[in-house]
Formats: sequence, C-alpha cells, structure tokens
Amino acid sequence: MSSVDESATAIPSVSGNVPMPRRIVLGFRRWWPYYVMLAPGLIFFVVWHYFPIWQAKMAFEQVRIIPPNIWVGLKHFQTLFTSPVFYQVLANTLIISTLKILFVFPVPILVALLLNEIRGGRFRKFVQSAIYLPHFLSWVVIAGIFISILSPSDGAVNQITGFFGAKPIGYMTDGNASRWVLVFSEIWRSAGWDSLLYLAAIIGIDQQLYDAAEIDGANRWQKVLHVTIPGMVPTIATLFILNMGMFLSADLNQVINFINDVNRGQIDILDTYVYRIGLRTGEYSLATAAGLFKAVIGMVMILAAHFVSKRLTGKGVW
Amino acid sequence: MLKSLLLTTTALALSLSLAVPAFADPTVIRLVSKDLLSTNPPDVAHIERIEAALKAQGTDLDIQIVDLPSSGYADALGVMLLSGDIPDLIYFQGGDTKMADQGILEDLNPWIEKSPNLKAALWPHNTERLKNYPYLLYVYPPRAPQPVIRKDWLDKLGIAPPQTVDEYEAFFKAIHDADLDGDGTPGNTFGVTTADNTNELDSIFNQAFGITGTWMKDAGGEWVSSRITDQEKAKITWYAKLAAEGLYDKEYVTSKFDVKEDKFYTGKAGVIFGSSAEVIDIYGGKMRQAHPETPIELALLPIPKGPGGQGLAATDVSKESRGFAIATTSQHKEEVAKLLDFMASPEGQMLDRMGFEGEEYTKSGDTYTVTDKMSTWYARFFAAANFVPPVEWKSAAAQESLKNITTWFKPDNAFVWPADYAADLDATENVYRAWVYKFISGEASMDQWDAFVAEWKAAGGDRLNEYARTKLNG
Repeated sequence: MSSVDESATAIPSVSGNVPMPRRIVLGFRRWWPYYVMLAPGLIFFVVWHYFPIWQAKMAFEQVRIIPPNIWVGLKHFQTLFTSPVFYQVLANTLIISTLKILFVFPVPILVALLLNEIRGGRFRKFVQSAIYLPHFLSWVVIAGIFISILSPSDGAVNQITGFFGAKPIGYMTDGNASRWVLVFSEIWRSAGWDSLLYLAAIIGIDQQLYDAAEIDGANRWQKVLHVTIPGMVPTIATLFILNMGMFLSADLNQVINFINDVNRGQIDILDTYVYRIGLRTGEYSLATAAGLFKAVIGMVMILAAHFVSKRLTGKGVW
Repeated sequence: MLKSLLLTTTALALSLSLAVPAFADPTVIRLVSKDLLSTNPPDVAHIERIEAALKAQGTDLDIQIVDLPSSGYADALGVMLLSGDIPDLIYFQGGDTKMADQGILEDLNPWIEKSPNLKAALWPHNTERLKNYPYLLYVYPPRAPQPVIRKDWLDKLGIAPPQTVDEYEAFFKAIHDADLDGDGTPGNTFGVTTADNTNELDSIFNQAFGITGTWMKDAGGEWVSSRITDQEKAKITWYAKLAAEGLYDKEYVTSKFDVKEDKFYTGKAGVIFGSSAEVIDIYGGKMRQAHPETPIELALLPIPKGPGGQGLAATDVSKESRGFAIATTSQHKEEVAKLLDFMASPEGQMLDRMGFEGEEYTKSGDTYTVTDKMSTWYARFFAAANFVPPVEWKSAAAQESLKNITTWFKPDNAFVWPADYAADLDATENVYRAWVYKFISGEASMDQWDAFVAEWKAAGGDRLNEYARTKLNG
C-alpha cells in the first residue's frame, strides 16, 4: 500500500469541470489498492445478498429443473397463508423473537459493561475466554446439554429444586417453558461473544471524558451511566436496528434441536415449518415465498426501527 | 525415399485410426450418493474395482463420484439438482417426488425387466413399491424395529421371553423390579425406552392390537386413518399403563437415538429397539465396549400375539423413501442399468457386501473369515435378497430379526399424497404426536380421546380421510 500517498497535499482534486466518467477513472487509478481490498466483500454481497433478490422471483413461479419455470402468481403465498397451522407458527415466531429481543439483546451490553469494570488483567482474560467458549459449540451439543440438565428424572436443575422440596418440572415437555429454554440457551451461547462489539465500542470512548467526569467528582456508577452507556448508544442503536431485520428469523438451527412432539405447538417457528413442508419435500417455491414474506417484514421492521431511533436518539443505520 | 516415407506415414495413420476404437475413452457415469466420497480412499478403491470388474465383462465405465456432504445430504442434493446439475445415477433420501413430477427420473421397471440380476435381487416390498412408484430402487430388507435385551439379563430374570402383550407387560415389570444393573436400587430401570416417539413400540404392537394398516375401515365400513380408531386407543391406553407403572420411559419424547442407546448401555433401560440387523449388531458391539469385562450378547425378543393378531407393523409399499434413481437426462442409461445389474449380481454383491479381501475378510481355500474391520464396512449399493454371503458374521439376534422381517411381511395400504396435502399431513401428525404424549405422560386422561379425534379431524384429518376414500375405494 506504499504506492498510495494519503497526505492531503498529494491528493489532487478530480472534481470541478472534469466529466463524471473521467472522474471515476481518475478516482479508481488513485485509489485502486483500496478498491482491490474492497472487492472480496463487494463480491460476497453481490453473490450472496443481491443476486438472491433477483432469484426471489421463484416465489411466484413453479420451479422446474429443466427450464422454463411456470409463472403461478401468488399461489405459493396462498398455500402458505391458508395453511391450518401457519398463523400458529407465525405467532410462535413473533413470541419467541420478542422474548429474544427483550431478554437476549440487553445481556451482551450488560456483560460488556461488567467486563469493562474488571480490573485484574488475567482474571478479565479468563472470564472473557470462558464466556466466549459456548459460541463455538453447535446447537446439537448445546441442546443435548440443556435437555440433559433439565431432565425431570435425573437432570441437575430438577435435582437442585427437588432438594428444596419442589416437584420435578418437564421443561422440555412444557411448551411455554420450552420457549424460555430457547431464550436462556441463546443467552448462554451468544452473550459472551456478542459482548465483543460493545466492548470495542467502550474501548473507543475518549479517555478524556472519564478524566473530566473524575474531576467533576463522578463515582464509578455515575461514569458508567453518563459516559460509558452514552458512548455505546450508536453501537446499540445500530445492532438493535439490524436485529429487527432478523425479527422473523428465530433461529432454525436452535429450534430444530430443541423441538419435540410435545412442545412443537409452542416453538414451531416459520423456519422449521418451511423446512419441513417446503425444503424437505422439494417445494422450493413455497420455501422462497416464506423467505420473501420474512424478508419484507424484516425490511419494514428495519425501516421502522431506523426512523424511530433517528427520532429518539438521533442515531440510525444511515 | 519420399515415396516410401509417404507410404509408411499413410500405413501408420491407417493403423492408428483402426486402433482408435480399441483405445476409446470409457463411458463416463456421474454418481451421487450419500456417504460416497472421492476423498474417502475405501470408496474410491471400491469404485475402481467395480469399474475393473465391469470392464472384464465388456462394459468400460468411468464412474465419477459427485461429492456431497453427508450431513444435510437431501437438502444439498435438492439444491444441486435445482441448479441443473443432474448426475446419471442419483441416490435420494427424500425430495424425489418433486423430481419425479417434473419427469427427471426414469421409470425403472422396464430397465429391471432387462436386468436379470437386479430382478432376482429384489425383496418382496421392493416389487410392491416399484409398482406404485417406479422411480426409486432401494434393494435392502425393510426397516422394522425389533426389541433386544442383554442376554445375561434375560438369563438373570429366569423367565421365558414374552410371547403375548400381557407377557410383555409382565416382562417389563420383571426388568423394572429386579436390580439387574446391580446398583443396589431396584426399580430404577425402565422395562423399555424408545427415541422421539412411539414408532418403535408400534412396530411390534400395532398388529397385536389389530392396527392392520395406515387406513382401516370403521364400524360404518368407511376408510379412516388408523390413528383415530378404537384399536389405536386400546394400544395407547396400554402404553399409558406401562408408563404409569414406570415400565416405559416417559422421557422418550426428548430422547434422541444416542440418549436411548446410552440408557440401554448404562442399565437404565432393559429393552430397546434396533431398526435393522446391522443396527442390532452395532448395539451389541457398543454394549461390549461399554462393559469390556463381560462378553455380552444381545437376544432378540419375539413378536407378540395380542387381541388383534400378531406380526410386524404393515410395511409401507407406496414408494421407497430413499434409493437410487436414473436421470432421464442421462445419455448413458444403458450403462447405468448395467452397473446396477452388476451390483445386484453375485460378483457385485461379493464386492459390495464383503468389502476387501485382506481388509474386511480373509480367504483360505474356500474358507472365509471376517476381520474386525467388517464392523465398519457397509454396502454402498444393495443388499440383494438372493445373495448368501460365504460366511455369516451377523449375530444370532440380527439373523433372527431378518427372518422375522420375511416371516411377518405385510404390505400396508398407505399411498403417495399429492403436494397439496402436505400441510394437512404435517398438522394432523403433530396433533397425534402431541396427544399421544399427553396420554402416555398422564397429562391427559384416555377419557379425552374424543377431544383428540375432534382436534385431529379439524387439523385436516377430515380432508385426509376423504381423499383416502377416493384412493382406496378406487
């Protein structure tokens, strides 16, 4: 990158009367190393995020392996919306997603704040490593662990509560309890790892603000409240808005490992339903229709969250 | 000089052109199958010797393995086919009906007619399934879960293996009450456990309770799903009784196969079900690994008689749920059919079932001896019904389970559903499964059976019954 001289004097203006195409060429010539660095990311997004938008037309077609596909209009959406369990599955998705936004989203913020308060270097590293670890476990393993410790016959949780005289509870056979198992297992798995972004935001806060607060006589709690948290707000707002875009994606991998015949009525979500009746039977158009439905809702949620956030905090995703 | 050079060159060119057919490239066949990978040396070596054997018979093939991950194979295969990449020979594990609907899969019946080895290798259920759905071929014995117990526990109990439903109940109770695992606490071993649902129990108790098939006639002579019949109610009532007495593990619903097996190996459950002869032997091997101090064998328990009859649950012959298909787009269907016929022949079966000489078995004169490696070998293509291996390595329990499958084979009256019924099938099955657990766990009393039936019908069951009548009444 030594070929790029970034000093202000070294960058001649390419605006003014220079025509646009010429300006683009000149700009590319000057900044090409950066464009090269940008290229892999750009290609990734084009291939995996923009190209599929065009392929979403499958939702309106009967896909044929040997072309051409047959245009069927809204048939797949009709199938989806008239399915006897669609609204139950949609309600489950909304409930689980809401629980996750309310209870999972704030935890990494708290974890980052707590980690930031740990002063001992070695202890802090140990805690960080320990809480990052679950992120690297697959949902198959995590589900196995949770189902085992929540077993009503010999699970650790029921043995502990049984010690205090409580009756054993079948957490995995009680649909409502199973929703909370999804929430807590998500917290256990992702809180540590997700706190990384917030920690980075905290580290980026100007030290002078803390010094000024110190001079003003602020104690640790007041510093957290008036310096650290306001410094994290842009990151929190951005991640919250992006999370809203994934609102209807309540995590297929997680649910599919926790679902059973009894709790299906409460934790069967759009993704698991579409996987069962769409993907496994080769009904790709139906699966795409469900995906498009989710994407549209996600887009609406992102836009709503963005404008609300802009109005309340002045921060948004753009 | 120039003339002789020209003559020599012409002669050489002519002889080369004549020789070309002898050096013609082999026909390329692309094969995609689960657990068959070009990165797995035994798979590659196996395919190479199949090619060599076929070449010796005059069929020169270059069988190219298309790699797909074993995990999520069915999904990956669907995506690959959808992208237009259609190999000549495709192993499906679901998702095939959509392909058949689009005319991608070849009708196999005419090809089987022309393939004597393949025709002779079919199991009775294969023949039935091919009549109903001629696109998939899976030449293996049907899967029918059958119960096994540790033989040393059976000896300790000192009672004869159960022959009837009532004797099964007494048998499970004897396991539960005796301290067979020797932990000093009688009553902490389940008589039987299953994984996920009650399907495994159904395998031997359906016929005993008179559940003869997926569709049965009600009192009015109308076809209805067996899920809502009185016979089903009697069976679930009995399961609930077993669970209430601590004989059947209520936590079956949260147990995956590994948990089920673990309960068996650690003595928390006396009886589990093996879905095939191979699986029964895997259980035996794992049990010996878990208890290296004792040479434990497994014993197969009998198929019980009951008020409704005796037998294994009726075998679904509507279609193969998995198997090989030939693509209609293939330019080499003849060659693919030859490959399949060879794999069903005695020579192909020797290769496919027995593994490699010096690895999975040794041969001294006419005597074959299997090695420990045989436990990890599996047939990549078929287990022909008419092939008798030169040495038997399956346990007595596994062999007996195969005999039972032949003895008790009964075709079911299930049929292939149109795609429009997918949501109804899903919804009604979920209602059934949820209620079965409620009954078995005691959360719902059997008096609520009518509530279950009403919910099942409302979830789409009525539509299913109506469609079934149009199919079964002809």
